[in-house]
Amino acid sequence: MAQKETSAVRSEEEPLLSVDNLQTAFFTDKEVIRAVDGVNFDIHRGETVGIVGESGSGKSVTARSIMGLVDSPGRVLSGSSITFRGEELTEKSEKQYRSLRGSDIAMVFQDPLTSLNPVYTVGNQIKEALRLHQDLRGAAATEEAINLLEAVGIPDASRRVKEYPHEFSGGMRQRAVIAMALACDPELLICDEPTTALDVTIQAQILELLQDLQEERDLAIMFITHDMGVIAEISDRVNVMYAGEIVESAPVEELFENPRHPYTQGLLQSIPGNQPDADRLSTIEGDVPTPNEPAGYCRFEPRCPKAFEDCTRVHPASVEVNDEADDHTAACLLYPEDASQAEAVELHEQLESEREVSER
Amino acid sequence: MLLFGASITFLVIRAGPLDPVSAILGPQGDPQAYNAIRDQLGLDQPLWQQYIDYMVNMFTLNLGESWVLQPDTSVYSLVVSYAPRTIWLGFWAVLIAIFVGIPLGFYAGLNPNTFSDYIASFGGIVWRAMPNFWLAVILMSVLSQSEKFFFGFNWEGFLYATNVTGPPPLGDLTSVDGFLKALKKIAPAALVLGSASMGNEMRIGRTAVLETVNSNFIETARAKGVPPRSLVWKHIFRNALIPLVPIITGEAFILLGGSVLVESVFDISGIGYLFFQAIKNGDMPLVGSLMFIFILLVVLINIMQDFLYTIIDPRVGYDGGA
Ligand SMILES: Nc1ncnc2c1ncn2[C@@H]1O[C@H](COP(=O)(O)OP(=O)(O)OP(=O)(O)O)[C@@H](O)[C@H]1O
Ligand code: SF4
Ligand SMILES: [Mg+2]
Repeated sequence: MAQKETSAVRSEEEPLLSVDNLQTAFFTDKEVIRAVDGVNFDIHRGETVGIVGESGSGKSVTARSIMGLVDSPGRVLSGSSITFRGEELTEKSEKQYRSLRGSDIAMVFQDPLTSLNPVYTVGNQIKEALRLHQDLRGAAATEEAINLLEAVGIPDASRRVKEYPHEFSGGMRQRAVIAMALACDPELLICDEPTTALDVTIQAQILELLQDLQEERDLAIMFITHDMGVIAEISDRVNVMYAGEIVESAPVEELFENPRHPYTQGLLQSIPGNQPDADRLSTIEGDVPTPNEPAGYCRFEPRCPKAFEDCTRVHPASVEVNDEADDHTAACLLYPEDASQAEAVELHEQLESEREVSER
Repeated sequence: MLLFGASITFLVIRAGPLDPVSAILGPQGDPQAYNAIRDQLGLDQPLWQQYIDYMVNMFTLNLGESWVLQPDTSVYSLVVSYAPRTIWLGFWAVLIAIFVGIPLGFYAGLNPNTFSDYIASFGGIVWRAMPNFWLAVILMSVLSQSEKFFFGFNWEGFLYATNVTGPPPLGDLTSVDGFLKALKKIAPAALVLGSASMGNEMRIGRTAVLETVNSNFIETARAKGVPPRSLVWKHIFRNALIPLVPIITGEAFILLGGSVLVESVFDISGIGYLFFQAIKNGDMPLVGSLMFIFILLVVLINIMQDFLYTIIDPRVGYDGGA
């Protein structure tokens, strides 16, 4: 976020995490919910990648898929690929995955009030991570836990390690959870709406803390939120998710200046302050549909103000929005915008026929 | 609490339909003798005087003597001879419930919607739904003719020769032999008495585990790389025990009531049985004292509950115990 990377630099080095055609589905009695349906994105070292989308768009499931924490009846479908430092994660055994969790990839969850086990001290829970991944015990572990709490800005840390979560305020707890996540010096930190449950001032403090920690440790952050304001502040690059798919992906400034996908445009318009003349906020009408079949159409079509006939018939693929813009893609039949509409639709049809859709 | 309970007891006994004098004399007593005995027992004194006496006696543990049931025996010696059997029974009933009900419930909660979960849950419901007296009768008749039902396995002759009913021999608990003998004797009654609690604890245990498994801190722990074994033992069980504490202690109360019935069916002359007899015969000091003991127990159990809470759940201070 602090250091602005050009896309040229970005594509040169190997990404830290690379998600390719990720498909995660829940096989319920009634239906198969394709919560994540063909998601692609990369995260590089030291970079913050934001993922935005309305509730139910599949952000958390994406995060859990990367962590290998998708529970039955859910499953990452075959044909999905997640590579971390060049290693394929989807083929790892549960045990191999476990040694990765918490040490190389850590995660911070939405609700700090319930993310800590109420019956153990904060110190105990930080030390548990240290013991699991660094084999630190006893006094050495306690000392490290105190250092970590200090690093996330908790005053009087040597007393605080011995306290229980209920003795911490909400903001303090989220700091403690972050300290726990950082305990084993991970390279990638996944934050699933880490500030949603906090009030605005504390939210700003936590964001600042994350930025500082990132600079210190060259941390890659995957930041999930449905708050466009937070995304603008923290990310280098933004992926917009809708109904299990990434519909637009661009560097943060580009996305806010030139949103291309009708959904992104709608999201930005619904931010208060972006529409000074309107009496009322324009929000996008309708709800996120539950993706329960492989799409042969645009999932945003029922809510899209720009929808046209082909949208019900052709599933849009992710394409560069035009010839000049590199590194800005959208999954919408209106793009690439320099092609005629018929050509564009044809291009999407062709790309779609190459896409691999897993049913199992 | 103690004071309040004792006062209520006094009111119920004195204002209630108990008439010890007629019980002593029998239905044909003449009015003169009636008044004499009434005098002697102190029942002619004003009510407030009786109340003060009663309270003072209770709190100085001066329990008095039985009037009707075993005249001139001190209540204290009666309690001492009857109580151990009840304690033995209650102890095992609680233990059976805890050590069978909770593990089964936890197991079912950890493997939800599997075949074994269904078996356990269904069994728990059926077991719980069976009324105590019915279960007692069935168990008794099955065990006393066990050869017929279990292919020659003979319960009465198993390990030690015992009858299914009758009080347990508590004379010698320190030797292995004596201990097992007493245990075997009490087992059927304890099973019956503990059955409802067992089913209850299983159900609650299952729900508690399911709830804990789905809570955020478990997900956080998993994201930290905690292996399943310590996830279950360290993170899940201790939290799942919290809602069980009031259930267990609450059931201890029900056991007090249930023991009256079970003791009569299995012919164990314990406190419950004594209490029942005392009420039937209008033996005021005995009823009063036993009530007082029950109230004491209730208070004790409450203290124990608070204590358990403070051990398991750091959020509960010793004073703040619910
Ligand atoms: N365990 C599950 N079983 C069945 N369906 C699930 C399960 N978990 C998630 N889903 C489905 O997956 C879809 C995406 O859920 P997800 O939690 O990823 O949304 P989200 O984008 O994180 O939303 P929010 O902003 O509310 O957190 C939803 O439609 C949800 O119904
Ligand atoms: S493909 Fe059609 S319906 Fe979908 S976003 Fe683009 S214009 Fe709207
Ligand atoms: Mg979510």
